[in-house]
Amino acid sequence: MRRLLLLIATFAVALLLGIGSAWYMIERGTPLTTNRVGPWASWMSEGNPNADPYTKAHLARSGRLPLTSTTARYFFARTDSEGDELTSACEYSIEGSALDARWWSIALYDAHGSVIENPSQRYSFNSEEAIRRSDGTYRISLASHARPENWLPSGSKMEQPLVLMLRIYGPRETDTSGIGQIPDDRLPKIERKACS
Amino acid sequence: MQLRVPILYVLLCLVLAGLIHIAAVLTLPALAPKDAWARLVPLGPVNTMIQIPPASPDQEIIPMMAPDVRYAFCRFDLAEGPVRLKAAVPNDLWLISFYTPRGDNFYTVTGADMRRAQLDLIIAKADQPVAEAGVDAPEEADHVVVVTSPAQEGVAVIRAPVSGPSRAARAEEALKATSCGPHPNTPADVGNSGPPTEAPAAAPN
Repeated sequence: MRRLLLLIATFAVALLLGIGSAWYMIERGTPLTTNRVGPWASWMSEGNPNADPYTKAHLARSGRLPLTSTTARYFFARTDSEGDELTSACEYSIEGSALDARWWSIALYDAHGSVIENPSQRYSFNSEEAIRRSDGTYRISLASHARPENWLPSGSKMEQPLVLMLRIYGPRETDTSGIGQIPDDRLPKIERKACS
Repeated sequence: MQLRVPILYVLLCLVLAGLIHIAAVLTLPALAPKDAWARLVPLGPVNTMIQIPPASPDQEIIPMMAPDVRYAFCRFDLAEGPVRLKAAVPNDLWLISFYTPRGDNFYTVTGADMRRAQLDLIIAKADQPVAEAGVDAPEEADHVVVVTSPAQEGVAVIRAPVSGPSRAARAEEALKATSCGPHPNTPADVGNSGPPTEAPAAAPN
């Protein structure tokens, strides 16, 4: 009896561990597949025909059709620079500096990857729209109510998780294999301001 | 109460967990019901250029689409022969990329890579000769790029980044002028026109 119970428990735990670890490595990524800089994470080989099985599984689940890292780089943030989850209940200041690329864009999504409804139909800021200072730096205010400079509205829903995506097309700095390189200090800082 | 689990069970558990992990990771891409290909199929037939409606709050065709990029795609099926894609590329921000149904981005050409605004591409499988006769004039042939597809089906995606609502309409107009359709492959006429001109399907950069 005891042996049977132990066997069942062994299978149950194995199932949990196996599926759980697979889910985590596919959904969130590990240093093997993703490059993490502060709040930003980037799947290094997404879209690449020679990608590892974790990246391929991640891509299939995501429903996206990304360009490979030699053409574009994608960075996701689900948290602020302190590591706290991004939520529409709080206001954030995104401080960025110039990126050496042909074009870039920061867009805001809900947890399902849809843009967030707002009266000004503003869902993103790109390299040609964002108001920048003379040194190329910029600030985007992520808030539910209007803010000066670049206002990225986080919608009227009281509390929903948010995801930011920075896409960089045609990065000019590349490594020897042609992969676009974005220096760590160039990625924007996401600072939480006030929460309601 | 102290629970003592024999080491054998712990080992068995770890080995099983490992096997389940590997099985889950390897089968997931085939089982994912809503990958990008499955999302594009309902939008229209093959070998036709179709614009994806811009990202908006109430619809989610492809998750995390760029709200400031206009997209058009052509699902190509090479069963009946090569497929030709033509576009007048208005600026060097445009990206034309090719994917297998699994989402492998096997080729990309950017507006900045191109020496001329008129993009003329023929998508073919490695075993499909591309007849030069289908190309309008001999000097034109030099500018036709042949993209070799590793699979019979796939999708070509054109990305047109925009920088404001006023320019979005212009990008949509430009995308409307692109075309995708079967390439008239007439081997009977090839006879004395020499080997097909093939531009190398170079790595994207």
